[in-house]
Amino acid sequence: MTADVREILPHRYPMLLVDHVLDVSPGKWVTAVKSVSRNEPWYRDGVDGPYPEVLLVESWAQAAGIVLGVQKPNPDVLSGQVMLFGSLSDIEFHRPVLPGDVLEHRVRVSRVVGETVIFEGECVVRGELVFTVSRMVVAYRPAEQLRAAEGEKQT
Amino acid sequence: MSAVSPVIGKVKPVSDNEVTFTVSPDEPVFAGHYPGFPIFPGMCVVELVHRGALRTAPAEAGDLTMTAMESVRFVAPVFPGDRLTVTVNWTKDRDHWRCAARATVAGRDAAVVKLRYQSGGDR
Repeated sequence: MTADVREILPHRYPMLLVDHVLDVSPGKWVTAVKSVSRNEPWYRDGVDGPYPEVLLVESWAQAAGIVLGVQKPNPDVLSGQVMLFGSLSDIEFHRPVLPGDVLEHRVRVSRVVGETVIFEGECVVRGELVFTVSRMVVAYRPAEQLRAAEGEKQT
Repeated sequence: MSAVSPVIGKVKPVSDNEVTFTVSPDEPVFAGHYPGFPIFPGMCVVELVHRGALRTAPAEAGDLTMTAMESVRFVAPVFPGDRLTVTVNWTKDRDHWRCAARATVAGRDAAVVKLRYQSGGDR
């Protein structure tokens, strides 16, 4: 079993937003960290402020991808089963995140229905709650479905 | 200083409740999402909804801080070159502001999003 995120997830720089897996129970839960750095491309010159909420959630969602991905790593989005974002409900943000903060994502599987997986959990920085996720639904689908969607767009 | 964002391009206002955005193949996220198969990340669609929301917010709301993604439903993937239209509907609920939005490409839903904000800089 690998815990190298690059062998599990298809995301790459600058969109690989998980640094390291602290602990994982395959199919059940994961704790993973991501350091927020001023050297990320979003902090280009002339830009400053808190880390965007959408990247916080993207990073958490990638951590969720590790819970099942650790058993069936698929770093290639063009083959095999790929994880597709279905929906999110009730993500509440409690405090801003700045460069230097280390996000600790805690992700738990709350239900599995066939190829659909429902996650819940939270993110903390130095023990303080940053955001909570009531429900994230993802679907594992054959990669061909995504490619078909792209083909449809081009015709 | 502008706000930190994973999306470089700018949204264009169309009306008081609509903005558009053309997804440039040069957006930096595509290098890693995914190598050999660029898909505009779903959370970047939410980012454009957020920017559309801020562009169209009622003047009395002042500076807004996102406090929740109440719901996000991804309906269809978005690819380089797509032109997204974000249509928003603002409502006020006691101390919260809510923005219900649809992001569409060529008239079809890409995402349906509800965001919650509060006035003032602090959460």
